[in-house]
Amino acid sequence: MAPKTSSPPASTNVVHTLWKAYNEQTSDRLKFVDAFLFFLMLSGIAQFLYCVLVTDYPFNAFLAGFSSTVGQFVLTASLRSQVNPENRNEFKEVSPERAFGDFVLGSIVLHFFVYNFLG
Amino acid sequence: MFSLPIVALLIAGAQAAVLTLQSPKVVVSSSSGSQLLSETLSLNRPLSTPVSLEKDTTLKLTFQVVEKDSGNGVQPHQTFLRFYDEKSGEEGIQPVRVTPGGKAKFELNMAKPPLSLPPTADTPLKVTLIIGSPIHTPFKVELFDLVVPASQPAPVHPNEQTFHPLPEIHHTFRPEPKLPPRPISLLFSAVVLAPWAVLFVLWSQVSIRVPHLFSTSILPFILTLGAFEGLLVWYWVDLKLGQVLGYGAVLGVVTILTGKQALSKIADVRTSRK
Repeated sequence: MAPKTSSPPASTNVVHTLWKAYNEQTSDRLKFVDAFLFFLMLSGIAQFLYCVLVTDYPFNAFLAGFSSTVGQFVLTASLRSQVNPENRNEFKEVSPERAFGDFVLGSIVLHFFVYNFLG
Repeated sequence: MFSLPIVALLIAGAQAAVLTLQSPKVVVSSSSGSQLLSETLSLNRPLSTPVSLEKDTTLKLTFQVVEKDSGNGVQPHQTFLRFYDEKSGEEGIQPVRVTPGGKAKFELNMAKPPLSLPPTADTPLKVTLIIGSPIHTPFKVELFDLVVPASQPAPVHPNEQTFHPLPEIHHTFRPEPKLPPRPISLLFSAVVLAPWAVLFVLWSQVSIRVPHLFSTSILPFILTLGAFEGLLVWYWVDLKLGQVLGYGAVLGVVTILTGKQALSKIADVRTSRK
């Protein structure tokens, strides 16, 4: 990973190289999960902006929505890192299927609590 | 049987002698000794004018208690002077010393007033003589009205102010939170829903293959997962907590079975592919 330099043309070059490398080297399935992660981040940011800029009036609704995005992001990120074949050495005793099972269980529990709080 | 004590009382009442006062006199003298007032009291009605005392004057009341019929002096059991304030209801009782011959002298010095004197009010005090004796009929006569100098105000109990109702509490409440105006709400609804569009665009660009999605071993698992999400939405809309936990437990058991089946199939596919 090349470090970011201070001069702008070189930095855009670095970002461009990074993006190209990502696009070429990441498998489609991981890109699928990454798209979901990006979506969750955008959704969380949008809800937080609304709470900060406009009102936090149904505060329980804000908490439920925001924590749903954050929790789901954490679960999906851990699934992605466990399923990635390049990390096989780190997660020897956890098969990808086991990781997916954990992901499903965690997601269902998270959804239950979020719906509980949503009102 | 019951008539016996009543008859005894009646006999006692019939035998009891009647008391009266002989030569009752009230004298008010100043500190220098000169007489300001000297009156003989009548037993039928009180004095017409009230007796007024100043700070340094002395009131002397003299009388003799005698039996009406025989004229003998009597020393009764109880001889009291009652100072009564009609308006406030305060009264003070002062015992009067009577000699065995029945002579009595009561002195009231305003320099050193008796403690039983009620606090001074607008109306004069009514002074009554009350005599009680077991062998005589009770005797009570209203003598005169007394006007005394102003007294110190009654001492206030240190805890007095805690015995009044506290000031009424007016609760104030936070105003109801207001909804933001409609256009802003709509704008931010669009902003929050926009990431879904971004997600679908990104997903369309990543062509993912799900080869075995609808095979018989995997489909039930997918369906039970969908059922779980549906159960949670139903809980949000309608169900109660106990119900959703019950249904969730049943559905969870089913999901575990289908999940085991589906994931082991996928694992086989993965290991065979490797």
